[in-house]
Amino acid sequence: MSAVYARRRITNIVALVLSGCATLLGLIFLVWILWITLENGISAITPTLFTKITAYADQGGLSNAIVGSLIMDLMALMICAPIGVLAGTYLAEYASSTRLGASIRFLNDILLSAPSIVLGLFVYVIVVLPMSNLTNGAISFSGFAGSVALALIGLPVIVRTTDEMLQLVPGTLREAALSLGIPQWKLTMQVLMRAAFSGILTGVLLALARLAGETAPLLFTAFGNNFMTAHPLDKMASMPVTIYQYTNDPNPALHAIAWAGALLITLFVLALSLLTRIMFSRKKVSYE
Amino acid sequence: MNDLAAAAAAPLTGAATPAKIKVRDVHFYYHGYHALKGINMDIPEKQVTAIIGPSGCGKSTLLRIFNRIYAIYPKLEAKGSIELDGENILDPSYSMNRLRTKVGMVFQKPVPFPMTIFENVAYGIRHHERLSRADMEIRVEQALRSAALWDEVKDKLKQSALGLSGGQQQRLCIARGIALRPEVLLLDEPTSALDPIATGRIEQLVEELKHEYTIVIVTHNMQQAARCSDRTAFMYLGELIEFDNTEKIFTKPGKKQTEDYITGRFG
Amino acid sequence: MIDETTRGNALSMQATSAEPLARDTEHRSRADARHDFIFRILLRTCALLVLAALLGAALSTLWGGRDVLFKDGFKFLFSADWNPVEDQYGALAPIAGTLVTSLIALVLAVPVSFGVALFLTEIAPNWMRGPVATAIELLAGIPSIIYGMWGLFVFVPFMAGIEPWLNDTLGNIPVIGALFHGPPLGLGLLTAGIVLAVMILPFISSVMREVFQTVPARLKESSYALGSTTWEVVWDIVLPYTRSAVIGGIFLGLGRALGETMAVTFVLGNSYNITSSLLMPGTSISSSIANEFNEAVGLHRSALIALGFLLFVVTFIVLLIARLMLRQLARKEGR
Repeated sequence: MSAVYARRRITNIVALVLSGCATLLGLIFLVWILWITLENGISAITPTLFTKITAYADQGGLSNAIVGSLIMDLMALMICAPIGVLAGTYLAEYASSTRLGASIRFLNDILLSAPSIVLGLFVYVIVVLPMSNLTNGAISFSGFAGSVALALIGLPVIVRTTDEMLQLVPGTLREAALSLGIPQWKLTMQVLMRAAFSGILTGVLLALARLAGETAPLLFTAFGNNFMTAHPLDKMASMPVTIYQYTNDPNPALHAIAWAGALLITLFVLALSLLTRIMFSRKKVSYE
Repeated sequence: MNDLAAAAAAPLTGAATPAKIKVRDVHFYYHGYHALKGINMDIPEKQVTAIIGPSGCGKSTLLRIFNRIYAIYPKLEAKGSIELDGENILDPSYSMNRLRTKVGMVFQKPVPFPMTIFENVAYGIRHHERLSRADMEIRVEQALRSAALWDEVKDKLKQSALGLSGGQQQRLCIARGIALRPEVLLLDEPTSALDPIATGRIEQLVEELKHEYTIVIVTHNMQQAARCSDRTAFMYLGELIEFDNTEKIFTKPGKKQTEDYITGRFG
Repeated sequence: MIDETTRGNALSMQATSAEPLARDTEHRSRADARHDFIFRILLRTCALLVLAALLGAALSTLWGGRDVLFKDGFKFLFSADWNPVEDQYGALAPIAGTLVTSLIALVLAVPVSFGVALFLTEIAPNWMRGPVATAIELLAGIPSIIYGMWGLFVFVPFMAGIEPWLNDTLGNIPVIGALFHGPPLGLGLLTAGIVLAVMILPFISSVMREVFQTVPARLKESSYALGSTTWEVVWDIVLPYTRSAVIGGIFLGLGRALGETMAVTFVLGNSYNITSSLLMPGTSISSSIANEFNEAVGLHRSALIALGFLLFVVTFIVLLIARLMLRQLARKEGR
């Protein structure tokens, strides 16, 4: 009897210790990756990084890549935020219990983890190729195409959060507005959206955090550019793609610049996701 | 059984006051469940009519037919007729806007819109009427005064309504409802989420408002019905058992079930 | 929409007779109904765009890859000969690389994720749970290009250091020994698999953690009351109760691993040779596309797009299974 008991206890202790080790292992990798990025990045951050373009290679900076990334990220948000919010609203307000709503919600969750490189190929086929054919090759890769690809990354995030946030708004608010004769569209746009505003904003920021770090969808849509441009139909540089190219280069001076860019992008993305976490935890208590 | 037959044949009514709302043989189905079984009643104009009964008796359901708010959910169905000033509001051709400007509603939990106090009241008006700024301010003030809230909020009209206390929020919801100048005001257990002091203020307000509005109040609180209504209807299991002067219902009810309920023998 | 007469009516509302007012409300009701209809159509169109995106991704890659698919048919899937110079394209090496690296990632990440979830739901003191869970989930927020850089500059040298030791130990075990023979390059399938494991760990563990929390407390308490240890409660009560969702979470991680590009491209070594050793360089579907697409023309480009189609179909199926499994638990809870 006591032997059985001892074996059970030992199994238990071993399992618990192992699970603690697993958690520790996860944390070690987090700290390791962040530390390496910080260590290599900080020493490479110089003013030139923000003032010079990539055309100067190891004598240059990342200014055109920073500007390109900002432009494409914002354009992507301008595409996917309105569509995503309206689509999420449809799911929550019109299709919460219909078959169509259920299928869209289900497929949206799949789009959420679809391989980003395929979404890049998709945009290559539907935007880059036709544009190139129409203009006889004058316009092919473009910042606009890059934005469309990034928008596809952000879209499902926004759809999902909007859907969830609107479902948290109490039904009595809908009844109250409808009982005043307010039509559904006004109720949705002016009352429900306002009630769920911080939650929906959280979704948009989450989408930004996700798409800002994406490299694969940009490779064959925005391509890259060693010069500064703000024209959406030009090839456009971006932080992730520049980091990718510099990492592939044998020149260690370019590696240093890549690390600096990596640090900037990591800080940006992690700060955004921490911010959304804080907003989200506050959101839970704000509309009770 | 005889009682029921009588109830179906002749609508139960209060006294000589003209009827504002005539309910005729109303049945209600909730996902196939028969929730109201042939309700007939005449609701008198500019008086307070209370509907009481144990939970699940259909009193809220009946109230929610009066402005067709039930229609926003699928699979709910009302049959029969409800005449408001002689026109059947259950007729699909009766316009929703007209109905909802004539019939206002206040809900169990106070639900202010996520806007300023001023906007909460002005929002509904703005959809139905184009008013100048000055006229709008007058209308909002009138509504807040009628809801006995003006003195408490006049200095913070631009602040969020979510910062008000529960009782204040509920009076704001009443102000929001009467700002549209309805003729009928439906109150669905308006004090169930409030403390006794806030409840007292709402009851006092109901007393004042009945000079201008026809009020129907659903309540689970018998004392409240006794305190602030002129007529009381008792419902049980989806049927209207008795509808009479409040005083009579609470002193010498005509039906055994009513007596059992008000003396606390069930429910 | 509302004309001047309406304004007049509104101002002198009490004075005007009920007739024009009624007409106004009728008019407004119709306008409201029309606006509601347009609004609904607009919303539905946006929602359908989500479907269009998925369908479009599948169809456009199929269309882009039609040349090679028509020319080679199934041979495309089963030939290991990938030779742009001779315009020969067989996808076996990238397919094998994708599957092998994802499998390594799962084998490593599933037990670790389970440990993390177990620790965070049953063992850790309350004050520790929130911060540690957030930290683990931050791993998912790190852009994949950073994993790639860390993999190439830090983890590859690290692996090069321990691979001789792997050769000497695991390499001597019969049957699986062959998997661990090879030069200590650091690069290769095993390294890529480990990097992928770190990447998908937060996804699997957060799903597991969430579903473990849905187990009703009374189930666990009644087992504790019978004298079960924590481990026994988790193994005998929690895991069976959440089995389908746990499998769903694992498939979700698998879907991620299959489609990941940047984290593996640098550390795979980009070689089309199929070998028996995990320590040898290889390639994967996504890294082949990333490495070659911009230099590829004609049939080569078509072959890469066809690879993309293949990847999309496989991940779609895996994610479909994942979501269906996750939904089963939601059903059980009556959500």
